[in-house]
Amino acid sequence: MSGITFLTSADLPPGVEGVVRAGGTDLQERLRTANATPHILDLTGIDGYTSVDRDDDGTRIGAGTTIATVARELSDDYPALAATAGALATPQIRAVATIGGNLAQRTRCWYFRHPHTACLKSGGDSCPARGGRHLYGVVFDTSACVHPHPSSIAMALLIHDAEVALAGGQSRSVAEVLGDGVDPTRDNQLGDGELLTAVLLPAPWPDERAAYHRSISRFEAEWPLVEAVCRVRLDDGGRVADCGIGLGGVATVPLRMRAAEDLLRGSTLDDDTIASASAACTQRAEPLPETGYKVPLIEATVREVLERVAADQA
Amino acid sequence: MTRFDTTVNGTAHVAEVDGHESAVEVIRDQFGLTGTKLVCGGGVCGACTILIGGEPTASCLLPATSLRGTEVTTVEGLGGSGDSGAPSAARLHPMQRAFLAEDALQCGYCTPGFVMGAAAFHDRWRQEHGTAEPDRHTIAEALAGHLCRCGAYEGIYRAVAAACRGDHDHDGDEPDRVAARVDGPDKVTGRAIYTTDVTLPDMLHGALRRSAIAAALVGRIDRSTAAVAVDLLGDDRRVRWAGQPIAAVAAETPSEARRVAAELDIEITPLPFVIDPEEAKKAGAPLVHEDRRARRNAPSAAEGPVLPATWDGNRRNSGTVPFRGMAAKRRVRRARETGTGTLVELELSTAPQLHSCFEPHACVADWSDPARLRLWVSTQAVDHTAHSVAEHFGIDEADVEVVADNVGGGFGSKVSLGTEIIAATELSRLSRRPVKLVLDRHEELTGTGNRPGSRMAISMLADDDGRELQALLVDVESHAGVGIGNVVGALAMLVYERSPRLAHDYDILTNGPPGSPFRGPGGPITAWALEQAIDEMAHRLGQDPIALRQRWDGNERRGALYRWAAELPVWRARPVAGAQTGRFRRGVGVAAANWFYFVDPDSEVVVSVEDGRLVASTASQDMGTGSRTVVARAVAEVFDVQPTEVEVRLGRSNATTIHGPTSAGSRTTVSLWSATTDAATELRREIGGSVSAAANGTSATARRGGDRGIRAVPITVAGIQIGRGFSGAVHVSEVEVDTRTGRTRVLRVHGGIAVGRIHAPELARSQCEGSIIQGIGLALYENQVLDPHTGLTLTANLEDYRIPQLGDTPEIEIHFEEAGWDHVPGGGVGLGEVATISPAASIGNAIHNATGWRATALPVRPDRMIEALSERPSVPSAPSRGAGR
Repeated sequence: MSGITFLTSADLPPGVEGVVRAGGTDLQERLRTANATPHILDLTGIDGYTSVDRDDDGTRIGAGTTIATVARELSDDYPALAATAGALATPQIRAVATIGGNLAQRTRCWYFRHPHTACLKSGGDSCPARGGRHLYGVVFDTSACVHPHPSSIAMALLIHDAEVALAGGQSRSVAEVLGDGVDPTRDNQLGDGELLTAVLLPAPWPDERAAYHRSISRFEAEWPLVEAVCRVRLDDGGRVADCGIGLGGVATVPLRMRAAEDLLRGSTLDDDTIASASAACTQRAEPLPETGYKVPLIEATVREVLERVAADQA
Repeated sequence: MTRFDTTVNGTAHVAEVDGHESAVEVIRDQFGLTGTKLVCGGGVCGACTILIGGEPTASCLLPATSLRGTEVTTVEGLGGSGDSGAPSAARLHPMQRAFLAEDALQCGYCTPGFVMGAAAFHDRWRQEHGTAEPDRHTIAEALAGHLCRCGAYEGIYRAVAAACRGDHDHDGDEPDRVAARVDGPDKVTGRAIYTTDVTLPDMLHGALRRSAIAAALVGRIDRSTAAVAVDLLGDDRRVRWAGQPIAAVAAETPSEARRVAAELDIEITPLPFVIDPEEAKKAGAPLVHEDRRARRNAPSAAEGPVLPATWDGNRRNSGTVPFRGMAAKRRVRRARETGTGTLVELELSTAPQLHSCFEPHACVADWSDPARLRLWVSTQAVDHTAHSVAEHFGIDEADVEVVADNVGGGFGSKVSLGTEIIAATELSRLSRRPVKLVLDRHEELTGTGNRPGSRMAISMLADDDGRELQALLVDVESHAGVGIGNVVGALAMLVYERSPRLAHDYDILTNGPPGSPFRGPGGPITAWALEQAIDEMAHRLGQDPIALRQRWDGNERRGALYRWAAELPVWRARPVAGAQTGRFRRGVGVAAANWFYFVDPDSEVVVSVEDGRLVASTASQDMGTGSRTVVARAVAEVFDVQPTEVEVRLGRSNATTIHGPTSAGSRTTVSLWSATTDAATELRREIGGSVSAAANGTSATARRGGDRGIRAVPITVAGIQIGRGFSGAVHVSEVEVDTRTGRTRVLRVHGGIAVGRIHAPELARSQCEGSIIQGIGLALYENQVLDPHTGLTLTANLEDYRIPQLGDTPEIEIHFEEAGWDHVPGGGVGLGEVATISPAASIGNAIHNATGWRATALPVRPDRMIEALSERPSVPSAPSRGAGR
């Protein structure tokens, strides 16, 4: 039944099924292209959906909190997340798009969004991009689908060990919600009817240094060829006490660069360390015929954020 | 259905939706506020920007239900509301006045959205920073969600900065006083009506059913599921490209029409097809045009008529231009064998570039009265459209009226009788009701034409001192899909004269979407090859690239531009090619352009006095190029009044109007200026110079006619006559290449244009700036991509089809050389095309100067830059002698 149900709580009324909509910045574009009219579950009236609450253990960000709010209000305590939020899409989109919607958006692959073709994510039985055009495709070839995950926010949340709260009270780690990206039919591991209600961040790091960089062809407002985010905590001796490096635009899920993080921990942020950590991010890269350029671009993009963190210029 | 209340511009509204609609549909269709435009439908371009609680929001992605209980401001209400609660026409936001004064617009289709975003930025900035001026970076970041295809970005920067400085706080409420364009006030307020804004009583909506496959034989179309349906295929029943329209239907709403079109039962037999041009050339490849008749009907990407040609399978010999061609071949062959002389040989390629007009192709047809066909069309050619519609439907031209009050960009794609016109007209004939058909962005970026991609080989031979160009060979294969009309090589024969030379132009037919004329058809592609070859020649010879051109180029008008360019500080300080080793490398490049002087000598203008006002009219149109303003200024000069005191009636062709030029081939201004001046002068003589009610009813008409002296080609074909003399341009660009991330930024462009007298300097400058922006798109970003296995267009949205943004705009200086056109009435010729030819090539040459790498494939994307630089050492093998000072 086509129409709309306005939810006031995250618990779905029995028998109601449909497509969830928050800010609508992903769904409205797909409805327009596909000229489809599924039943819509509107989340914008859910209680507590847009609030940001802090306590000693961390911060709860309502799933309906806009990207602009995340960029503005979390810049002091979570600068890596805020910088990522502030650099995605355009000011108009950031003012409407939500943190939950950003996590749960569908792939931006040009085959997936084309009305006249089917892919593994739209009910087809093969990936037309793999043998077709995939200039913006993955570098880590771990799935039958070859288009990168679209969520910059997910990449940033990964390096915060963030969790999401689901309707019904349980919570799961962001890493778990994203999964390993191997299943080519899914953009995330949320089940039917599993609604995100909030993002849960651990307590901030005091004196976090952070940087985000999006490698693109134009000035701004473009899906990343490669993106990287980094947060670092230094000890009194100027050595890396803790760090997180996230990488996006390269795999069907955002990646956390554990090997590079291990190289940084205990070291100073000198040129050699930065070079070896950046190079470590390309380990196991298996570019597609058209994505070979992304291998040096990964190194360049990670180096960019590490150098900025070293210079403390977010 | 869900009903909700919302407040728009201070007025309460009730909306009724089923839940799927976006806000833009409700605002335009239910509230009738058509100032808010729908362009990309993907939140990329910002043309649909509205304010919600003062925050700019892309209404194309905003669920309509999110308007519930909000305070919405649209462009109609931006300046505040009058006492009646209705938007007041006279009260403008300072940003609207700034857009007028700084001429921050051309076609005006993106303008309402831009104004909304900029006004919100202005209000916030003034609160936080007073009258401090924001820098360009800050402005670009704030307006990153807005795009302008005409490329009026320089004016937009100026307008935003000026309004933030407070320059336009106290202009008063007389928008006409500050406007550079006579139609500016309508465009910054959303009052300007475009074809997409036209709504007629009892109107149906049309939709096209397009082929999802690249080649097919279409059998029966079951029309029983549609109230009204039209078969759009020819007698041969062939589909030749993915996206080709097969049928059209009409229904009560746009979404219903799209549903009915999608559900039409059509008998389709797939046929073999070929997408890759290299495959298409092979023996046994499926023939795109299977017989003589199909070949004769192939659409053309050329400007003007297409000559008959020989075909070899899918390869069409589009033309051979020899001048001692055998000698040229012999000399090049000998140079290859013996190594004598300096021989530059490059193989290059270009990618298809899409016009991407912000107003989509659209038509509202009203044939409810069988004796009278009225059409609203987004067209560059009202007069030509009226003529072709009459011919197509076999009716008297006097019974046809074509209206295009405002046109949201064309760039060459809106010249011919498009499917949207034929379909809407036929649907209206059948239904006896008005029918509106508007293409969506996906259709617009798939099948409304493109500047074809190409592969080129160029050989340029000179003696070792560069005194003489000894031979020039150019071979071009153009990839216009199912289209033809390659002239790229021929154009290369016209610039550097006197040497033996030979051009071969071929069309390689594939089952791809058809190419169409695009602003200076062939020109920028010619320059990409020719101007990089001569740059490479100068580099090998160790000579100054400008000095080498001065020696080889006999065009005196360009000669003046070379002298100007050689003295530019950025040119004098240019680095040695390829000598830099750092991460960021700067380079400077030059390129020249050559173009024709086209004119429509049959153009007429009538100037009259009505209600005590001067009125000028002709059946031409203004697609953002400023024709309305040019005509107003011509009359104003004669009568010594303000241009705003002249009413200009363009955009209409019917039984009572007189012939006006098509806005293509750089011919509008040069066809209208002197005719307007002559008519106005005649009228002034008749009424003795005083414009008053006493003179009501007097009028004078003048025809453009020919030039003084001889003409180059004294015949007129399809409204075009080739006048005597070539126009010229020279562009000097400075780029910065980030060798790490592969991104190229254009920092500065100086554009020198030699077209004689400039009639409306601000508008001319804006056109030339826009040409540079589009050239940057061609050089660095734009590329229509097809799926190699199906021929489907993958870049059918403005995220994947990347046009330049505000933040990509370099600092631009435009320089006009106004001498050299005394034989032309009015003293100047058109500039829309010549200004667009050399920017991309100058950027290619600047990239070589910065990196030592010759970019041969367009666009020069980060992936290509990264791959090229990782393959070459950072120190150049052959540094240029003498470059830099």
